[in-house]
Amino acid sequence: MFFQSGGEDDVSVTDAPNGLSPVAPPATKKRNRRRSIGVVAVLLLAIVALLSQGVFHSLNFFETVDQVLAKRATFGTQTMHLEGVVKPGSIVRTSSGASFYVTGSKGEVFVTSKGTPPQLFQDNIPVVVVGSFTTKTSMNFAGTQIMVKHTASYIAKNPKRVKASNGSVR
Amino acid sequence: MMKQLSQRLFGPLTLVAMGVTLVLGLWVVPPDQVQGELARLVYIHPSVAWVALYVSFGTAAIASALYLWKRTRSDVMDRVANCAMEVSVVFIALTLITGSIWGRPAWGVWWVWDARLTSSAILGVLALGYLALRRANDDVQLRARRSAVFAVLVAINVPIIHFSVQWWKTLHQGATVFNSNRHLLIHGLQAWTLLISFIAFTMLFFWLLRYRYRLEVQRENLAGASVEEALSARRREGAQS
Repeated sequence: MFFQSGGEDDVSVTDAPNGLSPVAPPATKKRNRRRSIGVVAVLLLAIVALLSQGVFHSLNFFETVDQVLAKRATFGTQTMHLEGVVKPGSIVRTSSGASFYVTGSKGEVFVTSKGTPPQLFQDNIPVVVVGSFTTKTSMNFAGTQIMVKHTASYIAKNPKRVKASNGSVR
Repeated sequence: MMKQLSQRLFGPLTLVAMGVTLVLGLWVVPPDQVQGELARLVYIHPSVAWVALYVSFGTAAIASALYLWKRTRSDVMDRVANCAMEVSVVFIALTLITGSIWGRPAWGVWWVWDARLTSSAILGVLALGYLALRRANDDVQLRARRSAVFAVLVAINVPIIHFSVQWWKTLHQGATVFNSNRHLLIHGLQAWTLLISFIAFTMLFFWLLRYRYRLEVQRENLAGASVEEALSARRREGAQS
């Protein structure tokens, strides 16, 4: 009674009339292998499911303004993620969202986006806009969602901080 | 004597380090110029991610490699790998949760399928897979060997996560500290608080690992005692019949 292994189907126990006969070891090797393969198979499926959410399509999450301007024709009116820096002074809040320019080093794209922009949306901040160009040759981008891509730099607010001659405040 | 003292002091010191991080991060350090109060999550999320990726998953992978190497093979290594991976699952979950909490107001979304976030989610699945694989094998030696091989193989995902923000274009920010040009992008009190938070969460990991390891030893002893007890009971049954 103490050597049972959980009532698995492939566990063989020798019939023992007096309960003292040697008990055959459970056939665990086969079961272990079967279970391990099962775990690895489920894992592979889960990983493929995660990758298929976006990374399979493209490892890069967005296209920069400069890349889009260089190959404008290839993007046509397909839905894409456009990245650029919000041009200072260009933001106009509208009843349905906001319009603004996103700039790269080689040009800019006019964006009209629906929906409430994120909390950090402001001048000079990098953004990723989901949407598409209005026509195949147009430079007007119709956005459905704005995401802010903040930088890796952190500078504490300190109004008493003295600026260095090179403009640095750190 | 010194060892006992340091073991006793480790828990309270971890608590103090966590407390200092909390006080500095929430009240003392001024808000960030761009992110304002949101930047206070920089004293939690990167430190939790550091422990999840490098410290805990790294400990599990190294202990697994040492188990596979004949000269250092021992039950201790197998146990350390198992316990570290369990703690790692907790820290990976915390990394994803704190990242989402930060992402919603900062980016405007809870989650995106960029290379950094996807590879981090995969790490969580792999860590859970490791634990599932252990439970799929009843044979102790086989379980130790298979799970060790698995841990060493899937550790390849750690450098992929680390370099994902350099190799591909992601919504997730680039590295503030461990970046390619070795240029620290955080300074002054912000940097010191970040450093203290890294130390505090690393200490928390080792504190948790220590107690989890102790629990595992006790569990194994209990299982061993149960077998002994079962054998004795069977012998008694035999003697009576």
